[in-house]
Amino acid sequence: MGADVTALDCDPNKSLTRWASHGLPKGVTLHSEVGRSDIVTIIKNADGDGKIVIVDLEGVASQLVSRAISQADLVIVPMQPTALDAEIGSEALALVREEEEALSRTIRHAVVLTKTSAAIKSRVQKELENQLRGAGIDMIEPSLVARAAFSELFAYGGDLTSMLNNPEIVTGGKVDNALLNATAFTEAVYERLK
Amino acid sequence: MSGSNRLAGLTARPKDTSPEEVRRIDDVGEARGFVDRSPRKKPGRKPSPRTYQLHPKVFPRVGEAIASEAERLGITQGQLIEEMWVTYKETL
Repeated sequence: MGADVTALDCDPNKSLTRWASHGLPKGVTLHSEVGRSDIVTIIKNADGDGKIVIVDLEGVASQLVSRAISQADLVIVPMQPTALDAEIGSEALALVREEEEALSRTIRHAVVLTKTSAAIKSRVQKELENQLRGAGIDMIEPSLVARAAFSELFAYGGDLTSMLNNPEIVTGGKVDNALLNATAFTEAVYERLK
Repeated sequence: MSGSNRLAGLTARPKDTSPEEVRRIDDVGEARGFVDRSPRKKPGRKPSPRTYQLHPKVFPRVGEAIASEAERLGITQGQLIEEMWVTYKETL
């Protein structure tokens, strides 16, 4: 894609840093040590025309999260299709709306369901989607399906394309299906950013 | 999206990053429980790098003079001895 991507790993579990330790795709820069005091400056310095800044936030209500949201063009709230995730995610959505009011500008936000089933849509998932849509929440389609290739990125590093093209990499699932899913998701995100 | 860099067409939308704006965001977040959760530094004084101890016995008048001079300069007796040592070395 040739995009200039800066990723900020603000998750205490350091998921992105673990992934990057196996090798970063070309054009991706990772910041691992990001605190509340420097997050705004790091985002500002990395931002620019044609540049993408991705901030992976911690799953707790913190000042770092609210500061990152204030600098966002799009806030994506990932939710597993469970009642618990929906409740936790709704806190983040409420904060986005309050920051919109405080800043007097719109902060585009959307929910993406993750670890969904490729075969069937559960009753809980259907109910959750209806509730979110009913509340006027933007839902990114497609959801991110639970696929082995997504999990195995953390074992091999790089991206799905390199995984698909490397015959030495053996995965427990179909990488091409994961790639189709990820590409469609990326398109949906791009539509919201342009 | 592959094959062409469509992302190059995306334009940045600069945000207000002034301290006042950040403070406003902090206030909004704190009202919803989004508080500062960065790890706290260990409380208390940091351990001194001065770990070597001397045990000199001097005449009381000399000891009192060193103690009062250190107090007047706002430094420890150990720091004063270090300064005296530097001066001594310079005279050699």
